[in-house]
Amino acid sequence: MTNRRRILVIEGLTKSFPAGFWRKPVRVLSDLSCDVYENEVVGFLGPNGAGKTTTIKILNRLAFADAGKATLFGEDVRDGKELRGRIGFMPEQPYFYEYLTAVEFLRLCGQLCGMARGETDSRSAKLLSRVGLEDARSMAIRKYSKGMMQRLGLAQALLHDPELVILDEPMSGLDPMGRMEVRNLIRELKTAGKTVFFSSHIISDVEVLCDRVIMLHKGEKVAEGRVEELIGSQILYIELVVSPVLAPGRLAEAGIPPGVGETQGDLLVLRAPGTREANGWMAGLLSAGCSIHSCLPVKKNLEEIFLERVGEGGVEGKSN
Amino acid sequence: MVRRILSISANTFRETIRNKILYAILAFALFVIGMTFFLADLSVGDFARIIADVGLASIHVFGVIMAIFLGITLISNEVDRKTIYVILSKPVRRSEFILGKTLGLSFTLAITTLAMAAVLFLVHLGYQFGGRAEPGIFIASAGIYMELVLLTCLASLFSAFTTPVLSAIFTISLFLLGHLTNYLHAVGEQSKVAAVRWGSKALYFLLPNLENFNWKNEVAYGGLRSASVLGWAAGYLAFYAVCVLCLSCLLFARKDFK
Repeated sequence: MTNRRRILVIEGLTKSFPAGFWRKPVRVLSDLSCDVYENEVVGFLGPNGAGKTTTIKILNRLAFADAGKATLFGEDVRDGKELRGRIGFMPEQPYFYEYLTAVEFLRLCGQLCGMARGETDSRSAKLLSRVGLEDARSMAIRKYSKGMMQRLGLAQALLHDPELVILDEPMSGLDPMGRMEVRNLIRELKTAGKTVFFSSHIISDVEVLCDRVIMLHKGEKVAEGRVEELIGSQILYIELVVSPVLAPGRLAEAGIPPGVGETQGDLLVLRAPGTREANGWMAGLLSAGCSIHSCLPVKKNLEEIFLERVGEGGVEGKSN
Repeated sequence: MVRRILSISANTFRETIRNKILYAILAFALFVIGMTFFLADLSVGDFARIIADVGLASIHVFGVIMAIFLGITLISNEVDRKTIYVILSKPVRRSEFILGKTLGLSFTLAITTLAMAAVLFLVHLGYQFGGRAEPGIFIASAGIYMELVLLTCLASLFSAFTTPVLSAIFTISLFLLGHLTNYLHAVGEQSKVAAVRWGSKALYFLLPNLENFNWKNEVAYGGLRSASVLGWAAGYLAFYAVCVLCLSCLLFARKDFK
């Protein structure tokens, strides 16, 4: 990891916003530090109000940090507009000029990025087709659904072929098919050598997509690392799925203690605390005439890790 | 830089020109200007002067309504609808955004003012059929347009950091004061208190002097402005607009979007 180039470096980022009549500052980010390396897919995970969007806004010059520093490609995010040409950004619940069509809007984006008309048009056609908006390319944006807006948001973020793509809640508002397409798109970006930094509170998406995860809660980083590292190697239990369902007496005869299993239809699901117990139980079950359908070690998933770190009561809050 | 500003201004022009309320105001303005044709018959005295007088006043009033109505939401709408997020994340300076938006609206106002002036010119010509055409209508309208551009700059300044309602209050206040600065200065000069004299002088130079663009009476009375007056007004507009826009850019440069 360390021999790879650091694309994004955040050091001690702190931000407060004034709130209420007296404009009392409310801290939304506290001393956040993290890195994103070249060609990584990094998930920025946290409940609503954790400070994900604020961090992303600071990276895109839409807000300014009170303290700390953020650099992209080695340059301070507050410096030069040239840096922006290397970044693609899709805001949360994107909204565009409703009187334009997708093609017109992408043409405007191309002009702002300094792209030639021909290049913009060919990239637009390709991207609109890629995000599934080919048929809606000449439709006014005001007629777009939330999911279509999201797709157009992705297209505009990728129009100028950026090296780093920052996506704020890219799966929000999408149906399962749309979510799958976005997941595939993020994978394609990684294959193409791009770096992707995206925020989400859909943990399953983060778990399957990301090389690394940064977890945020109430403006503070609560965990950072590779998904496998966070999940750890510790096996929680070994799940055995067997049939037929044996009566409690016969289970006891097979050496299985009470209260370790449950019936699911015609199957009996048992949770062995360790390998030794699982081996013993399987021998007993086989001799009792049972078939073993599966034997799986179960580790903690990212959701459990997340809830462990932020506390189950900590997942409420206002989006920032 | 120029290309980005022009792209933003073209988009702003497209946005404002599709505004249905703008068309409603413009249609009403054209109706009122057209009606001056009949108004002249009801008047005593120089009929053509009545047309020019009332017509130019209509262009002025409706132009100001359009400039304030569109100007106060010029930036705040982009922030409220979050369309600004996508634009500012591109290689665009915030100052380019402000300049592009103001330029785009100024272009829309140029079209609407020209349309109103053209209708007034035709009405005037129609009434005086067989008589002379009055090119002064376009010159006076150019003065009105310069005032509208200045109001647009002021509205976009307020729009950059406050709500549309407050922007409207501030802009309307400056519009009214802008036509009274000469009186304010004259009244202040009469005071025996030095602080009042200095205060009125400071306000005279600080507030926009919109009377610099007011040539309606001269046109109505058949006189035409010299090129030097036009040049002075254009120079004053350029200087004041640059100052206001620089202030807008400065205030907007460090604005946080929550």
